[in-house]
Amino acid sequence: MATFDIEELGRLIAALPPTPEGWVRAAQELPQVRRGLDDLLARAEADAALRAKLIADLESTLADAGIEPTRHVIADVRERLRSA
Amino acid sequence: MGPELSDAALVARCRAGDDSAWSLLVERFSRYVYAICSQGFRLSRHDAEDVFQDVFTKAYENLHKLRNDDAIRPWLAQLTRRLCIDRLREATREAPVEELEPDGMDEMIETLDEAMSVREGLARIGEPCGDMLDRFFARDQSYRTIGEELDLPAGTIASRISRCLEKLKGAMEDSGALVSPEVG
Repeated sequence: MATFDIEELGRLIAALPPTPEGWVRAAQELPQVRRGLDDLLARAEADAALRAKLIADLESTLADAGIEPTRHVIADVRERLRSA
Repeated sequence: MGPELSDAALVARCRAGDDSAWSLLVERFSRYVYAICSQGFRLSRHDAEDVFQDVFTKAYENLHKLRNDDAIRPWLAQLTRRLCIDRLREATREAPVEELEPDGMDEMIETLDEAMSVREGLARIGEPCGDMLDRFFARDQSYRTIGEELDLPAGTIASRISRCLEKLKGAMEDSGALVSPEVG
């Protein structure tokens, strides 16, 4: 775009509507969640009781560890438990 | 740390483990990824959310593989396209891959790239213009809502928007030509 006319600018601003708030926050928190999960899974590897609790009641165990058990976090942990 | 930080500098900081840089990277590209999912591929809200989270998860995990830090935008675009196609393929296993991507996707990405450059312009012109133009065009807010939320007389919003557009136009013209970097 070599020149910018006003109508085109309005159209281009409108081309990027805001993302639902919760989606952005969840993606922004990824590093902290990852570190929490890494720690939890490392402890579960060394602690059979914690591992059993994780498998039996994943959501509560995550919440107890201070990790919000969102759909995406749960899917991630299940995948990592399967491949561990 | 804000809009003055280049994409390459932002990527470098993310790679060094700076959580605030990651937060800014997500904020900077969230609308772009969302637009590809929802407008480009017309995914349902549920599927778009899944792909959106997958894109940033994979970006986080694979940022070290990006060879050209300046190319984060086209890299995210490619990643988003691939994950949208994967999602559609799960739903329609029989369809060939080439039929899953809507026509005109390359042109749409070009438009979104221009839109991202305009967003950079919005950041450069500062407040209240950037916010006002975003509210009117991207958030589709009425003059009345904008006036109430920014504590301004509703009757002045139209003229303010017009002046802000002129300011944005000047800022965009000052910034020069737009060239997308090669994918890294």
